[in-house]
Amino acid sequence: MEIINIIQGAISLLLILALAPMLVGIVNKQKAVFTGRIGAPILQPYYDLKRLFRKETINANSSSMISRISPVINIVTVILAAAMLPVGFAKPLISFNGDIIVFAYILGLARFFQILAAMDIGSSFEGMGASREATFAVFAEPIFFFTIGSIAFISNYTSIYDIYQSIRLDNLSFIIFIIVCSTSVSILAITECSRMPVDDPNTHLELTMIHEVMILDNSGIDLFLYQYSSYIKLAIYAILETSFFYPLGVKNYPLGLLIFIVIILFLSVALALAETITARFKLKSIPQYLLFATAIGILNLLIYTFTK
Amino acid sequence: MENVLSILFCLSLFYLAITLRLRTYVTFLRMQGILLSVLLIFPFINHFSVHALIIPAILFVVKVVLIPKYINKIITDMDIRKSIEPTIQQFSFLLIVIFTMILIFLGSSVLSKSTDIAPIPFASGFSAIVVGLYIIIFRKSLIVHVVGFLVLENGIFLFGLSVASEMPMLIEIGTLLDVFVVVFLMGIALNKISTTISGSDATALRRLKD
Amino acid sequence: MLELTLLLILPVLATLICSLIKSFRLQYAITLSVAGLHLLTSFAIFINILQPTLPYFFSTDALSKLFILVLSNVYFWVVLVSYSFLKKDVPLKGQRSKKYYFALLNFYLLANSIAILSNHFGMYWVATEATTLSVAPLIYYYRNKESLEALWKYLFLVSIGIALAFLGILFLTLSAKGGVLEGKQLFFSEFVRQAKSLNPVWLKASFIFIFVGLSTKIGIAPMHPGDVDATSNAPSPIAALMSGSLRVTALLGVLRIFQIVRFTPTYDFARLILIIGGVLSLIVTFIFMFKVKNYKRLLAYSSVEHLGIIALGIGTGGIAFIGALYHIIYNSINKIVLFLSAGNVHLRYKTRQIDGVSSALNILPWSGWLLLLAFFAISGVPPFGIFFSELKIFEGILFSENPWLLAMVMFLLLFIFINMGKKIFLMLYRKDDNLVVNTEKEKFDISHFVSILLLVILIAIAVFSPDVLSKNILAIAKDFGVKL
Repeated sequence: MEIINIIQGAISLLLILALAPMLVGIVNKQKAVFTGRIGAPILQPYYDLKRLFRKETINANSSSMISRISPVINIVTVILAAAMLPVGFAKPLISFNGDIIVFAYILGLARFFQILAAMDIGSSFEGMGASREATFAVFAEPIFFFTIGSIAFISNYTSIYDIYQSIRLDNLSFIIFIIVCSTSVSILAITECSRMPVDDPNTHLELTMIHEVMILDNSGIDLFLYQYSSYIKLAIYAILETSFFYPLGVKNYPLGLLIFIVIILFLSVALALAETITARFKLKSIPQYLLFATAIGILNLLIYTFTK
Repeated sequence: MENVLSILFCLSLFYLAITLRLRTYVTFLRMQGILLSVLLIFPFINHFSVHALIIPAILFVVKVVLIPKYINKIITDMDIRKSIEPTIQQFSFLLIVIFTMILIFLGSSVLSKSTDIAPIPFASGFSAIVVGLYIIIFRKSLIVHVVGFLVLENGIFLFGLSVASEMPMLIEIGTLLDVFVVVFLMGIALNKISTTISGSDATALRRLKD
Repeated sequence: MLELTLLLILPVLATLICSLIKSFRLQYAITLSVAGLHLLTSFAIFINILQPTLPYFFSTDALSKLFILVLSNVYFWVVLVSYSFLKKDVPLKGQRSKKYYFALLNFYLLANSIAILSNHFGMYWVATEATTLSVAPLIYYYRNKESLEALWKYLFLVSIGIALAFLGILFLTLSAKGGVLEGKQLFFSEFVRQAKSLNPVWLKASFIFIFVGLSTKIGIAPMHPGDVDATSNAPSPIAALMSGSLRVTALLGVLRIFQIVRFTPTYDFARLILIIGGVLSLIVTFIFMFKVKNYKRLLAYSSVEHLGIIALGIGTGGIAFIGALYHIIYNSINKIVLFLSAGNVHLRYKTRQIDGVSSALNILPWSGWLLLLAFFAISGVPPFGIFFSELKIFEGILFSENPWLLAMVMFLLLFIFINMGKKIFLMLYRKDDNLVVNTEKEKFDISHFVSILLLVILIAIAVFSPDVLSKNILAIAKDFGVKL
């Protein structure tokens, strides 16, 4: 059993690493199709990454060691986080009691270093992006804990794999609970991955960038690592979202994997549609948007724990 | 099932706390009316009887059709801005609402151990009452005051459902009729206010002071 | 059945007829006759000539009999004065209000009668809400900006208050759970009988919510602003009606829940709340009497003061309770006289500001003297009735467990009297050479006749103290468990 688990976990991780750029490519292609363009090919992110790999890395004169180590820390932490996720209900490579906290804060570590590196460059552009990112991160963190935490509270497990394993969609109120939780997590995903309506991944104007602006002055391998880690982050949150609905699938591993991928594709359609239709919120309305998601999470927690 | 509908009711309260558009208020009033009608029909879903459908039907007609239509008509007639200015930040308002709801739910779970009430509709109804009062206190526009009053009434209705008090049918109909006529009169008053006194904020009503 | 017809069905018919026909004379005649019949019926019920048998939803215990007599009385005199009042000139926009004046008055009578006679809390609530609706358009009679604002504030605040009172009624249902009354309907008589089986926590919550909610309508602090605004901007017959009978109907609700609470441990809590409400009203009146510049607002605050005294009397219990009941009667009669005189002053001087009125005693001898006498009456000068009722209330407070309260109350009342008197005397006696007003002599009018009659009644009831009245009030006191 152990070997099979390790092999399944390794396959999951490799799948995530390999197919994350394709997910982003699919989303971009759909956005193009929805707006009547032909758009870039689906494999475009791979070509971008390959191009960046060959380029020269330039660092600013005023930057310090932080700028050198930050991309590496980013990619390492994000891969570690990806290793904790159950893909198709295979047991992940890293799974122990209490790993939701480690998961949240590993991603927090990545963000921390990204912010530091942005401020390290010394340009006010990146500093502006860093401050915005820090603010939104503060409001986004409770969402994760209140939603995933409430499921953890109900199921009495504290490992991501165990929590998601224990979701059984048997009675109507639990289904509604899960749907509401997944709404919260989708708002979280939008914030963390810098998607509309929180941040526009396409523009490079100072009024509209949050994530893009922090990596504006990086190039070459640094930029490659940053881009790749952001693609993997999107995949991570897509998997978190999908696992809510996965109990509809079967426990047979290959078939389950297939159904899992199909659900992720549906989510990508939803994301593309949402990105096409919505405009970005005013920056000062984003905290209340995030507070709304937190409120939903708190409400869920209150109802389901005080009526157990 | 009541729990689910009460949760949706509370979610609508959250959204009412952060929205700034007037039409959204009316839409959410409609939604709350639909939720309440479904809540009323639900106990009888197995044994249909015409008698049991009268009150949900009247409730539906009044709260989902008549009152929102009337408020929409007032909004159009008054030709006011489609969005309202908040007096405090949306964020703080939502925060206040969340804290209050936490307190109410805590209180309700403590009370449900001693008295026989359904805790979730109880807490939802009570929080709707409190959110209605907050909307009246923290917003300046008069139409929003009327909407806050209607949210208060919805909350009282939900609260009454959770307490499971038996009211004769005539009195329930009388209650609904009263609410409708009150809103009707308020609408007429608002119409006159908008034409005679400039501005449709509560700050415009400053003449009667000592 | 006869009583039901006379008291309830006739007003319904009168409302319908008055909203259809166009002649004011005919409307006035119908309304007056309905009012007269209503008064005769309630008087007959009061002196026990008629023993009514009403369906179970209605009750005719001693409290209802007294209150319906108060309502009929105030209503009749107001209707009598209404025709001549309507004939006087109003600004052009006000012409439209005359059309539905009588129809709304009849509806007001209907709603109040149902509320007073009801035995079921839910029915009481619906009827009280209906009284708000019937009075609101009448407040807007003059159709100017102030009355519009008054209408809005009154309608809004009172509706919220009544919604809170409904919440209190729901709490009452909650308190009945787990006991004998569970699942039964909210009949007063049932609840009073089975009061001991009610859950005290919910009963306390219920009392607070009903009291606070209805206090917007009663007009005692802290929810008085809507009521004060409305009373000061309504035309004077309507203001008299509101002061005399609308507050009384709302007070009935508080009395009913007080009756339920009487024999339970929540009683002391309820008394405390009532006393606090009363004293707070007095303090509020004390403060605002210094600042008020509008004589109708002055009278509105005087209403707040007297309802506060009544609440104080009810809360103190004992002989103060009896005094409070007498005070209800005297206050409503007195307020009619005050508002009618103030109305005449307004019609002549065309302003509501105290500064705009001078030498009222010379220019309007009848109204001026009546205003003066009514002011003395409302301040508790013998032989008018309020002297006796206030004396009873003070006696009750003195012998209760808070005698120091009496010192505070008398201090506040002293200053209220001084301020009110100062302003009224200024209006009556001050000489102002810049005054531009029509100085033709005032003609003796039906409003003066009614005022004189009412003042005489006020003295007569107090001095002769009819047996029937004292028996009724003692019966009410017995219902409320008051020990003398």
